[in-house]
Amino acid sequence: MLDVAIVGYAQSPSWRNAELTEPQFLFPVISEAIERAGIERRDIGFTCAGSCDYLSGQTFAFVSNLEAVGAWPPISESHVEMDGAWALYEAWVRLQHGDIDLALAFGSGKSSPGRLDEVFSLQLDPYTLTPLGADPVSLAALQARAMLDKGTITERDMAEIAARSRQSAADNPHAQIRSSPDADALLQEPYLTAPLRRHDLPPVSDGACAVVLATADRARATCERPAWIRGIDHRVEPHQPGMRDLTESISTRQAAKHAGVDDAPVDVAELCATFTHQERLLREAMGLDDTVRVNPSGGPLAANPVMAVGLARIAEAARAISEGGAGRAVAHATSGQCLQQNLVCVLEGA
Amino acid sequence: MSAADTAPAEDGPVTMMDYFMQLEYHELLCPVVRRYASQLLEGRLVGHKCPSCGLVYVPPRGYCPICVVETTDADEIVLADKGTVTNYTVVTPVQYYGQEETEPFVRASILLDGEGGMMNLQDIVDVPVDDVHVGMRVEAVWKPPGERNVDEISNRSWGSAEGCIDGWRPTGDPDVPAEQLRDKAF
Amino acid sequence: MSRPAAVVGIGQTKHKKKRDDVSLPGLVREAAQRALDDADLTWTDIDAVVLGKAPDPFEGVMMPELSLADALGATGKPIMRVHTAGSVGGSTALVATHLVQTGVHDKVLTVAYEKQAEGNAQWGLAGGRSGGMGAGGIFAPWMRSYMTRSGAPEHIGWMVAVKDRRNAAKNPYAHLQMPDLTIEDVKESPMLWEPIHWHESCPSSDGACALVLTTEDGAKKAPHPPAWVLGTAMRSELGTFPGRDPVRPQAGVECAHEVYDMAGITDPRKQCDVAELYVPFSWYEPMWLEGHDIAGPGDGWRMVESGETQIDGEFPVNPSGGVLSSNPIGASGMLRFAEAALQVRGRAGEHQVPDAKVGLAQAYGGAAQYFAMWVVGATLDAVDQKR
Repeated sequence: MLDVAIVGYAQSPSWRNAELTEPQFLFPVISEAIERAGIERRDIGFTCAGSCDYLSGQTFAFVSNLEAVGAWPPISESHVEMDGAWALYEAWVRLQHGDIDLALAFGSGKSSPGRLDEVFSLQLDPYTLTPLGADPVSLAALQARAMLDKGTITERDMAEIAARSRQSAADNPHAQIRSSPDADALLQEPYLTAPLRRHDLPPVSDGACAVVLATADRARATCERPAWIRGIDHRVEPHQPGMRDLTESISTRQAAKHAGVDDAPVDVAELCATFTHQERLLREAMGLDDTVRVNPSGGPLAANPVMAVGLARIAEAARAISEGGAGRAVAHATSGQCLQQNLVCVLEGA
Repeated sequence: MSAADTAPAEDGPVTMMDYFMQLEYHELLCPVVRRYASQLLEGRLVGHKCPSCGLVYVPPRGYCPICVVETTDADEIVLADKGTVTNYTVVTPVQYYGQEETEPFVRASILLDGEGGMMNLQDIVDVPVDDVHVGMRVEAVWKPPGERNVDEISNRSWGSAEGCIDGWRPTGDPDVPAEQLRDKAF
Repeated sequence: MSRPAAVVGIGQTKHKKKRDDVSLPGLVREAAQRALDDADLTWTDIDAVVLGKAPDPFEGVMMPELSLADALGATGKPIMRVHTAGSVGGSTALVATHLVQTGVHDKVLTVAYEKQAEGNAQWGLAGGRSGGMGAGGIFAPWMRSYMTRSGAPEHIGWMVAVKDRRNAAKNPYAHLQMPDLTIEDVKESPMLWEPIHWHESCPSSDGACALVLTTEDGAKKAPHPPAWVLGTAMRSELGTFPGRDPVRPQAGVECAHEVYDMAGITDPRKQCDVAELYVPFSWYEPMWLEGHDIAGPGDGWRMVESGETQIDGEFPVNPSGGVLSSNPIGASGMLRFAEAALQVRGRAGEHQVPDAKVGLAQAYGGAAQYFAMWVVGATLDAVDQKR
């Protein structure tokens, strides 16, 4: 594989209810990522976007996002109906041809307009699960219950993950929740969907993220400390929750193995742990021990702009390397319920 | 939207049952569309003129996607409520769920006079659908001030003035030659 | 870093108005299993799956790659979901091709589908509101502009409609089977979106298409001749801005020239033996012949009128019957890519163009703003042989 690095990134703030449209808030984010990469917009050889029609409640919603890119004259471009992390994957594959040296990936979404419990029930099997009205929080609660019953996590562990994540976000200007009471106080709160309390859930967020990728020569020329992509892989597992052992994340383990997570020690991990208990699952699946700093940005528990949140993990991991002095970082993105599909990206500073 | 029956289908056909899912979305109007809507209620059609290339966007989008520059209230201009049909179609309505139209109707693109600006998907009124043609001169039919509303204006309805303008009617002025409108096919 | 990729398996379902004999998983598996059988491979041989379809609200299933992962044999593997409006079937095949060409995977299954009868695409297109125009309403004004600009007589549209339906009668998978359709029938059919008549418009279909792509080694082991991918290109442009030419979109021009250049094609009209173009409304055949510089300005309709685009003509277009005969929206683009590959593999059956060695396929979408194209050849040097 050709060496490819992240040379620019930008994120919007994470809003509870953005008054700007998706293309309006994408617009400055894409411009900033390009500017930080120190490149010209017209030098980008391939662009890939990630977004979701159902989140916006509009067919072909992604078409207007093209207005934020600068698609005139025409550009070589594609779109995945997935988190922007998979847009980055497609862009990384495109760069492997070696005929172009710069690519742009972005993800964006507004979660605020719809009712997420109803919208995301449509992500399930339409014949057997959607009619049951199974929603993401209920399914996550079943997963947490299975872990509690198995003894792989406690409610206190979960509260501590929530408190730590939100306190870590204090210095993250893109985060939505940037402080938290301690675990003792959190545990006094009532259950929302037992065994989950409000703090076990992510906030509802609107936002966007953009990342510029470059092949080796271009990366070295334009960026002082590029974040090199040393491995990237994604895997899916069975859809029916009853077909899976929800207390493990097998597809994360597979992706991590193929991405080479355990080839060397990891300094920082940015994990798409949308619910507190999933951080534990992901750490175990990737073999991350206590020396690894997990979600210094605060992660999805501090800001959860759906369709951008996975790409934002990659951007944050790249930032840890380019600006934070980390040597090796792992980023993770997920799709589906109870971590059905997972992407793992390994980044290194040298 | 529907999901199929779950009955086992060894020999017989899989049958279907209707499954209706209603999703409600409530999105805040973005500031530029809010401003556009308030101006419509006042009987003014406004757009943004790109400070870089001079193209006019109506309703304003808050940016020029060609130049990739943001536009603001400072770039707002009041547009003419007269213009020329640059293209159109007569739609025979398909009777999908929620369709209320039953008779053929016109959807036209209108190039506004003066500074320009294109209004898309507009109704042409006061004329038989078969008489609509490229180059036809038209003017906005405003609702009386007390009857105007912006209920149908959304962040995504680029080109719509529904609730304030009932449609566009012929002015009777001579046509603009069609060849002058070639790059305004939209 | 690029290595050759070849299509070694092609499968499609019977397309029809309502495939109520299969579920969504059943539909995609029908196409995928046929592609695997054609390649003499099994599900476990596949490294990764790339899925494409048009907007999720058409069936009411959000991100269907998740609920279809099991049916597509993807568990434990990578699966992606592409969505680029009407061009999606083509873009999806290109993403799969790139995975093989770049060495990321050796054997990739790609599938595209639409099951319109399980939802309401017209409702979806209208955003759930009254007064929806349908795709035809968006494209109709541009077809009129083409007629005005090129001076094409109105019977050209009727001729395309008849040609494609007669071709479809030779394709057992095609939805519409109208071997006896006449020019008179098309002309007399109801006007849907002036100037488009009922018979000049595509049907709405349930259906799926699948391809297996692999390496040079994989192609050697395949039981049937491969179709080599000689060029790929994607282009997008803004859909609406003052001054845009939607009749001959710049993205379509650039996409075509990129794919010709990559394949070494200097004169597509001479060097391509067959083309499968995305023609959902009859006028788009001459419009794309000109829009992709196969014909000069105003010559596209003359190619139609002279019979050049008939299945036995010099430049056959849509011998499969095209989108005018089968339109499972998300799959329609991949069907173009698949049919071009079938032709150069010599496996198109009754609608085979004799001795087809180089095939061109195209799909477009949105407000004629998204384009995906590929050129396939019977051999890696198929284009060189044409010079």
